[in-house]
Amino acid sequence: MSEQRVVAVRTDRVWKVFEHDGIAVDAVRDVSLEIQRGEFVVLAGPSGSGKTTLLNLLGGLTAPTRGAVWIDGQELTAMKERQRARLRLERVGFVFQAYNLLPVLTALENAEFSLLLRGVPAEERKRKVQELFQRIGIGGLEDRRPSKLSGGQQQRVAVARAVVGEPALVLADEPTANLDSASSIALLDVMTTLNEDLGTTFVFATHDQRLMERARRLIRLVDGAVESDTRRPSTKGA
Amino acid sequence: MRRAKLLARLALRNVRRQTRRSILTASAMVLGVAVLVFSRALGDGAHEDWIDQGVRLGKGHIAIQHPRFQQSRHLDDRLTPRALALAERALAEPDIAARVTAVAPRLEIQGLANSATGAIPVFVTGVDPEIEAGFSKLGDRVVEGRYLEDGDRLHAFVGQRLAERLDLELDSRLVLTGQDATGEIAGQFVRVVGIFRTGLPEADEGIVHIPLRTAQEWLQVGGAVTTLAVLVASGWDMPAVLDDLDAALAEDASEVAALGWREAMPELDAAIRIDDYGDYLFHLILFVIVGLAIVNTVLMSVLYRTREFGVLRALGLTKGETAGVVFGEGVLLTLVSGLLGMVVGFAFTWVFFRNGLDYSGLLDSEFTISGILLEPVIVPIFRMVQVFQSLGSIVVIGVLASLYPAYRATRIDVAEAMKFEA
Ligand SMILES: Nc1ncnc2c1ncn2[C@@H]1O[C@H](COP(=O)(O)OP(=O)(O)OP(=O)(O)O)[C@@H](O)[C@H]1O
Ligand SMILES: [Mg+2]
Repeated sequence: MSEQRVVAVRTDRVWKVFEHDGIAVDAVRDVSLEIQRGEFVVLAGPSGSGKTTLLNLLGGLTAPTRGAVWIDGQELTAMKERQRARLRLERVGFVFQAYNLLPVLTALENAEFSLLLRGVPAEERKRKVQELFQRIGIGGLEDRRPSKLSGGQQQRVAVARAVVGEPALVLADEPTANLDSASSIALLDVMTTLNEDLGTTFVFATHDQRLMERARRLIRLVDGAVESDTRRPSTKGA
Repeated sequence: MRRAKLLARLALRNVRRQTRRSILTASAMVLGVAVLVFSRALGDGAHEDWIDQGVRLGKGHIAIQHPRFQQSRHLDDRLTPRALALAERALAEPDIAARVTAVAPRLEIQGLANSATGAIPVFVTGVDPEIEAGFSKLGDRVVEGRYLEDGDRLHAFVGQRLAERLDLELDSRLVLTGQDATGEIAGQFVRVVGIFRTGLPEADEGIVHIPLRTAQEWLQVGGAVTTLAVLVASGWDMPAVLDDLDAALAEDASEVAALGWREAMPELDAAIRIDDYGDYLFHLILFVIVGLAIVNTVLMSVLYRTREFGVLRALGLTKGETAGVVFGEGVLLTLVSGLLGMVVGFAFTWVFFRNGLDYSGLLDSEFTISGILLEPVIVPIFRMVQVFQSLGSIVVIGVLASLYPAYRATRIDVAEAMKFEA
């Protein structure tokens, strides 16, 4: 893990305002954040507090109403759609709550997707994915379609897909919400290990207490604004 | 390139994944294209048949005449010996001769057929029996007696209605009267040698064939004719041959001209065009229906998979590329099923109707088009043009029907698509 501080993502006074039948809803208000490479950050907060919206802003899936977002030092709002897509491909990994694998691709094809788009040769893709699959406990499932995998296995494939390209940050929106508790814990272990061993930056949005406990930085959102931002030492091992 | 391949693979797998829906849509396409191919082959066959029969009974694919004759039908507007010689030279040019299958010299006038019973206006044609037998094929419609033969002199080949109305039998005598080259009314005795029936009243009552020599002597025109009727090997060559003949006859354009069947027989031309428009309209409607089925399938698959497109976008595909996946699915579906439809259409037409579609059962009377009695059998014609037309239609449908769903795919809001709804 690198000790020098490299900013993975930064926001400067971002707002996201949704219009709802003429009524403006501030989903995210005036959030300024800086997340370093290698951090393990949890966004917590009640339902509707803006966790998902903030994640989408951090990943360039949603344009801020005001303010600016930098990923790896590149400002998103100034970019064209193509460039943002490129940036997502190269710098950001996503894990969603559920159903986020492409059903027509095998586990391996899903996991190697971004590598393939980036032009990594087949051999290398396969090697990387297999290695990662072994590491996160789904070795041997490479040729299965998502429909032939359990929810926990699917989420691990999604995690593999998100991290395999060594992105600047991985954004995960309630990745454990659809899993039973054993699978949740296993998935958390996987992500903790990846964070500690490979230095992968994770930013989660979650209600899951277990996940919050693992956080080394916990950001609480209330009504779209940051209520608290606390760091604490690593709590290694579950 | 690698991207394109990946997108194509996604499109292909998606089509396969939605097998049931894809098969349903594909069947619409297969059926549509098969019907198109079938109706094209039969339509072209029918038209070729109309044209063939029309030009044989009429003045050939191309009529070489005095430019005024088409209008005047007057003996004064016959071909002069000089014009005839020019026309014969033109027809003998190797390039033209190679594409011409028959040339029938004719002397055509309007006159009266008289018997003891009465007089009926007829169109008398002096013909070279040998050539004419293979040209107009009126000889194939004999009901009594025979067609004219070489060596016949005072013989006439008449229609059945004329025979009935004038009380003629085989060997009966009749007198043909008409204005000769000097302007006098002249009469000519002939004997009925054969009676034909085309089923078309105008022809069965109004056409009399007599030997050319007899007609020339009767009308005092020496060796002159009014018309050289020309058949070309393939109807499709007609415009080219017509152009070449026009060019060859240009030096004496005031005396002789070549006239295509479309001008010589405007009613037949119109009938074919109308029938063609009917076909095109039918195809258009067919394609709109098939197109809508495709739009529906592809669009449904977009709406139902917004989440998947959200994932693709989150992974770093651009709007254009996600649209590409959708577009690829639509085009793939139409292309594959369209090609299958072509194969089915051609195979079906070939296997079941190669020798002709007999529709006599559908008709309770004889079928004529602008004066031509048609056999109630259509023999389909297969042409490369049909393949290109079908391919063109398939591509057009595929592209048009896939554009809108692809556009819809670009409108998907990623954040919205990724919202979790259990
Ligand atoms: N596309 C949208 N259009 C309008 N309003 C929206 C939209 N997305 C989110 N909102 C509103 O923004 C606010 C924040 O929503 P968001 O989904 O970010 O909350 P959340 O913290 O992720 O909630 P949850 O824990 O339920 O997932 C809510 O009031 C929500 O209704
Ligand atoms: Mg949320």
